[in-house]
Amino acid sequence: MQFISTSPRLANVSEPLTVRFLLLGLTLVYLLAMLVLPLGVIFVEAFRKGYETYAASLLTDDSIAAIQLTLLVTAIAVPANIIFGLAASWSIAKYQFKGKSFLITLIDLPFSVSPVVAGLIYVLMFGAQGYLGPYLQAHHIQIIFAVPGVVLATIFLTFPFVARQLIPLMQAQGNDDEEAALSLGAGGLRTFFSVTLPNVRWALLYGVLLCNARAMGEFGAVSIVSGHIRGKTNTMPLHVEILYNEYNFVAAFAVASLLAFLALVTLCLKTALEWRYSGELAVSRGH
Amino acid sequence: MASVGVNDKSAPIRIEVKDLRKSFGAFAALDGVSFTVQPGELLALLGPSGSGKTTLLRAIAGLSPAEEGTIHFNDEEATTLSLRERRVGFVFQHYALFRHMTVFDNIAFGLRVRPRRERPAESEITQRARRLLEFVQLGGLEKRFPAQLSGGQRQRVALARALAIEPNLLLLDEPFGALDAKVRKELRAWLKDVHRETGLTTLFVTHDQEEALELADRVVIMRNGRIEQIGTPSEVYEEPATHFVCEFLGNVSKFDCTIRDGEAEVAGSLFPVSEDNGLNGPGVAYVRPHEFEIVIDEHGEGLPATVKSVRPFGPTVSVELELAGREGPIEIAVPRELIGLGDVQPHRTVHIRATAARIFAAG
Repeated sequence: MQFISTSPRLANVSEPLTVRFLLLGLTLVYLLAMLVLPLGVIFVEAFRKGYETYAASLLTDDSIAAIQLTLLVTAIAVPANIIFGLAASWSIAKYQFKGKSFLITLIDLPFSVSPVVAGLIYVLMFGAQGYLGPYLQAHHIQIIFAVPGVVLATIFLTFPFVARQLIPLMQAQGNDDEEAALSLGAGGLRTFFSVTLPNVRWALLYGVLLCNARAMGEFGAVSIVSGHIRGKTNTMPLHVEILYNEYNFVAAFAVASLLAFLALVTLCLKTALEWRYSGELAVSRGH
Repeated sequence: MASVGVNDKSAPIRIEVKDLRKSFGAFAALDGVSFTVQPGELLALLGPSGSGKTTLLRAIAGLSPAEEGTIHFNDEEATTLSLRERRVGFVFQHYALFRHMTVFDNIAFGLRVRPRRERPAESEITQRARRLLEFVQLGGLEKRFPAQLSGGQRQRVALARALAIEPNLLLLDEPFGALDAKVRKELRAWLKDVHRETGLTTLFVTHDQEEALELADRVVIMRNGRIEQIGTPSEVYEEPATHFVCEFLGNVSKFDCTIRDGEAEVAGSLFPVSEDNGLNGPGVAYVRPHEFEIVIDEHGEGLPATVKSVRPFGPTVSVELELAGREGPIEIAVPRELIGLGDVQPHRTVHIRATAARIFAAG
């Protein structure tokens, strides 16, 4: 009898069943309409004229150049931000200095600034009419409307990802492990590679994935600094836009499907990581 | 316990600390600390938090150097040595085990990171790590990760890891701070064994006076970055040098008194003084719970007091009393056979007398 008397009380803590179904249903419908269907449309449109057309539109010189450029930019931006992220989080977590919270805010800047503004900043700095323009021209260095500009803009927009993952984790872990290694006679480099890095490896990988996804997909800032030169400064997102504006829908969706596919792979890896190392990651996102 | 065989080669070292100073901003964490640790001694650094005991330990280890002063290991100036050269076995409060390494790899770490010409062969490293695991009674757990161990086991791994480098001395920061009471008691006895077995000069930091008094050969009591007193457990307990030491080492009742010719007068009652230090005039007297007597006679000598509670558990009976004109109760411990429980009941008025008191000048 006691069992029966406790169960209604338990149910009373939560909402009635109908409300729960309603909330869940609303969420699902919303996700379906806003996320899943549009994503599906990309693949449907891409394959509308068959697999061969799909392959052909991916294999044009311009598309291949765009894919190559995207991979190149990512291959530079991600390692650069790994190094920056490690350096920044190390100094923030392990040292005491004035202006630390300001530095943390500064690292978040790319999250709050519109990518278009970020692009314009670079044009203003390195463009022909920009502050460093005359100097760069005199030395025949082109940054804006060239690959270096695209790389710079991408680095700017992606640099918080690794640092943001590492800072809270390193702060939570403190210095003890490093000090233990040093007192056991390990040198600085040895300590870094066999103690510090393994301690943050999953958070680092997670940050790299997020950084990678953003680096490949960045549009706004890159659009401003690249100049949309086909085969030269077009990344995949820019190429999609050009194809679309030319009413070449199948090709546009084909390239877009490749981007979407890369995003889905990232998402799967991210979920796998979260599932496997939830404990360690929770620390790094606990704020 | 089998011999570890790791520290047979060298005799234990003497540590000499001279006028150590270190400050964090305006806060003086170490304010001129000098003392000597004898070879093979087990020394406790005892004090409340913020007293500088951990700062002192870290300075000796070389983890955060002092700003002024010298530290000698035997006749060698340690402040100029690198961490590796100091060879200090340091056990961290939260153990700081490498979480991604097995117990075995943790213990072997200090040997594997040695420069090639000093590094033992891998077979010898394995052998030595095995021996240490046996020594800390963790044989068979070498493949575990730190997360799979209990607190007490982690502590043992941390100690084995520190011993693996054949340290010159062993330093432990609050070694039992993170453990529950039962494990703490076990490990206390065990640490004493380890010290006897290794013969290492050993320093440990604690804020638990019972731990310090029970374990250490000598105790260094610290307060505000200074040493208040150094002595054997019975010295600091029986003959506290300052009233801080007296109060810090546990249960004691404090009375305002007038000191006259080797006796302390407290509200008309005379307390005999355990050690006449030539003081006269106003002062404070400290009496420990077992240094009181209860007089049942209502018109007897001594201070009148009202019984608040009686806890008749164990060999001594603990009685809480309230004194007129005094804030807070005082606690008295009386041997069971000396007390008629029928007479000492809550709300009864009795008289109390001190058999000994420690006196200090007022202030």
